[in-house]
Amino acid sequence: MRLAVALPCLLAVAATAALAAGGAAWVRLPGGDFRSALKYEDARKVRIAPFELQQRPVTNAEFLAFVQAHPQWRRDNVASVLAEPRYLSHWASPDVLGDKALPQQPVVQVSWFAASAYCEAQGARLPTWSEWEYAAAADETRRDARSDPAWRERILAWYSTPSNKALPRAGLQTPNAWGVQDLHGLVWEWTDDFSSLLVSGDNRMQGDADKFKFCGAGALSMDDRENYAVLMRVAMLSSLDAVDTTANLGFRCARDVK
Amino acid sequence: MKRFIACIAIATLLAAAGCKQGDTPAPAAKPGAAYDSGGSLKGDFGPPQGKPIEAVLTSPPHVPPPTGRDYPAKVVVELDVVEKEMEISEGTTYTFWTFGGTVPGSFIRVRQGDTVVFHLRNMPDSKMPHNIDLHGVTGPGGGASSSFTAPGHVTRFTFKALNAGLFVYHCATAPVGMHIANGMYGLILVEPPEGMPPVDREYYVMQGDFYTTGKYREKGHQGFDMQKGIDENPTYVVFNGAEGSLTGDNALTANTGENVRLYVGNGGPNLVSSFHVIGEIFDKVWFEGGTRYNENVQTTLIPSGGAAIMDFHVEVPGSYVLVDHSIFRAFNKGALAILKADGAERPDIYSGKEVDAMYIGDQANANLAAVGAAVKAEKAGELTVDDQIEAGKALFAGTCSTCHQASGEGMPGVFPPLANSDYIAADPAHVPQVILHGLQGPIKVNGKDYDSIMPPMSQLTDDEVANIATYVLNSWGNPGGQVTKEQAAEIRKVKPANASEGH
Amino acid sequence: MKASSKFAACLSLALLLLAAAAAAVAAPKQAPLPRDSVYQLPATLTDQAGETRDWRSKRGTPQLVAMFYTSCQFICPLIIDSGKAVEHALPADQRARLGILLISMDPARDDPTALMSVARKRKLDAAHWSLASPEPDQVRAVAGVLGVRYRQLADGEFNHTSVLVLLDAEGRIVARSEQIGSQVDPEFVAEVRRVLAD
Repeated sequence: MRLAVALPCLLAVAATAALAAGGAAWVRLPGGDFRSALKYEDARKVRIAPFELQQRPVTNAEFLAFVQAHPQWRRDNVASVLAEPRYLSHWASPDVLGDKALPQQPVVQVSWFAASAYCEAQGARLPTWSEWEYAAAADETRRDARSDPAWRERILAWYSTPSNKALPRAGLQTPNAWGVQDLHGLVWEWTDDFSSLLVSGDNRMQGDADKFKFCGAGALSMDDRENYAVLMRVAMLSSLDAVDTTANLGFRCARDVK
Repeated sequence: MKRFIACIAIATLLAAAGCKQGDTPAPAAKPGAAYDSGGSLKGDFGPPQGKPIEAVLTSPPHVPPPTGRDYPAKVVVELDVVEKEMEISEGTTYTFWTFGGTVPGSFIRVRQGDTVVFHLRNMPDSKMPHNIDLHGVTGPGGGASSSFTAPGHVTRFTFKALNAGLFVYHCATAPVGMHIANGMYGLILVEPPEGMPPVDREYYVMQGDFYTTGKYREKGHQGFDMQKGIDENPTYVVFNGAEGSLTGDNALTANTGENVRLYVGNGGPNLVSSFHVIGEIFDKVWFEGGTRYNENVQTTLIPSGGAAIMDFHVEVPGSYVLVDHSIFRAFNKGALAILKADGAERPDIYSGKEVDAMYIGDQANANLAAVGAAVKAEKAGELTVDDQIEAGKALFAGTCSTCHQASGEGMPGVFPPLANSDYIAADPAHVPQVILHGLQGPIKVNGKDYDSIMPPMSQLTDDEVANIATYVLNSWGNPGGQVTKEQAAEIRKVKPANASEGH
Repeated sequence: MKASSKFAACLSLALLLLAAAAAAVAAPKQAPLPRDSVYQLPATLTDQAGETRDWRSKRGTPQLVAMFYTSCQFICPLIIDSGKAVEHALPADQRARLGILLISMDPARDDPTALMSVARKRKLDAAHWSLASPEPDQVRAVAGVLGVRYRQLADGEFNHTSVLVLLDAEGRIVARSEQIGSQVDPEFVAEVRRVLAD
């Protein structure tokens, strides 16, 4: 008797979820050897396996569908060790977006745990920092535009606009050479291994050899000091804990290629 | 017993007399003295006493009041980081990153030996993480490694202020140059244990250089230009974060008779400041914000990431202009502020303009003595023809000899001669007449034709005309004679037919 | 209805009620897990004895937690020193009630054998010391709730931060210390005593 009621409900929910989540296309990136702007202790180049990346960040509508399907991630249910008090605080209620959270805007005020759980529910994962850096090195025509001062200036220009304006919708920018949008100029994005960016809280200590802090190695330093775009992403991610949320931090998912 | 009392009395008298031997200056004032405040080693006055104190933070250009304490305390500071758009020049906006919502950031005032519990709060709508390095902190990064704060978070660290002085604080998040260039700096004053000497007014001024993609005063919203920052080529160099922040209605104020103190910082990020107040001399400069002061300084260097304290006494009312004396910065990039002093005029110290007279350059030297003498004699009613000739000669040299030559021979075909002139011999009144009214049209002098224009020298006074004319009449074989001041006045009134229209 | 079936119905109802009651009594820890407990994050740990359990099974005993890996030469030996130092600072009755949990960030290599080898070498009492590895895809999340940052290097070594985390019996973080080694922060030790005194 109960089953007869439950099944159509479940189907309805699933359908909504599929509709909402079905938005973001997946873009395939070939990977390969990549020179990071960070100076890693152990290797000059990073090897990236082929992978797929969502074309744009996850939106409010998509995340709402996830929360409805997984109520333990509602802001009134979530464990406080998995999301800080501001989690989804811009939504009108735990399951209603409201005016301040338009469906097509990238979802923000999400913790790393929530973002990871969302991606897992899609059979995916968060991108690694290297995958993100590699995809974001491109501009509209070149796969690696990082040596172009104009590329850097455009990114710096985003940093210099104040954050109190409404977020644009996801997916409006011209795709880059890989076909991926919105890697710059929209929101900061979580990566799976954001906590591997071991930098000193005082970013001036390049090459400082405080071996106790990171167990045998100094902090990460920048190989390419002119690359402020990367530098500031690293600074941002290294200032966060997994439970944190901010008003301009969102995410997109990645997945391995079979 | 009586003798004993007498001894004591005498001794006391002697001691009192000794005390009146004049003021003993404070040890720090003796130039070159061996006095040494001991630095951080002697800066720890023990654990904090009494209840924790909430620090009073002020926005520029105001300074918190003196702590007025004589014991070390625990002081709690809560400083916000706010990213906000403000005007850098009229019609030009810029996104500043600020401590406390202002550029420079809030002024913090503590006493040497205080334990400061520092909370750094980064507003939730900030885009960037930020931290703080206070130059008054002894410890890694000046606090920067312990205050790295994500948007919407607060961090806390504690330090003891071991050294007295005026210190810069600034954000040290990478890229550090950009954070500083966006306005993330301010000052913290660590008072010496005895406090700063009292003054009537204290103000907070901080210089900074700014780098925008557009040109100086280009209107609209301007972004930060990293390349200009690296090239150390600022668009704006301003006090307190904007052109005009301390001018007009926002000018600093004081009254004559007051002692004014400026706490001046230089946030940089790049430029060193040559700080000067036009019209004032700094009675005291605690150069580089340290313990010793210099006296009677016109312009003091403030390093990038440094500060200085200066005291001066205001005597004369008016507007005193604070500038970076690398002067193109003041007049072409905005490094200009005003201190307006009100009060009674002091003509004994500064008179204002007293004379504005003609200055005839290198023609006017010793000869003017003759002119002076003639004026004196004329006043005394004792003017002789010789006096007039001497005076006229001196005046001729400055005014007439340029064209007619010192020898009176003029220039053939251009300027008629005055020497042995038949034109003058025909009518001596010609001389003052031509001097006053000029001459236009053809004339014949000494057999030669001239058709030039002599402009009227009507700016000469009557006695000058009289003296010059008398000199000409009595020189170079001319008939002689005299022209008086009264005659010159009469001739001035009547314009002849051949008067010149002037230049 | 016949009398016998009525009786049967009553009996089954009674038995049902009894079972329910028994169930209720037999599970005293069914009080909901607090929302600020780290055990809200599912994590399956395999320890030096080869036993695999969700770390929620540690609920009920305060824990001193740190992350390490067995081949770590630099700081990780000092982490074990810290654990021992805390133990020594406690009176015997409190020592018996504290669990020390070292979680590996290198599950690929830190299998029960490797973990047991370290436990034996350092003479760690199995009654209180648990050295365990999570599932490989859980390491980042476990580090996230504990506030540990790490990166694996090409040669298998790790760069990582180190912290001692004190959990109360419900798994809530009540104290942290970054002071590692045989000199433990006295304020941290005081917190341990306070939690164990309850």
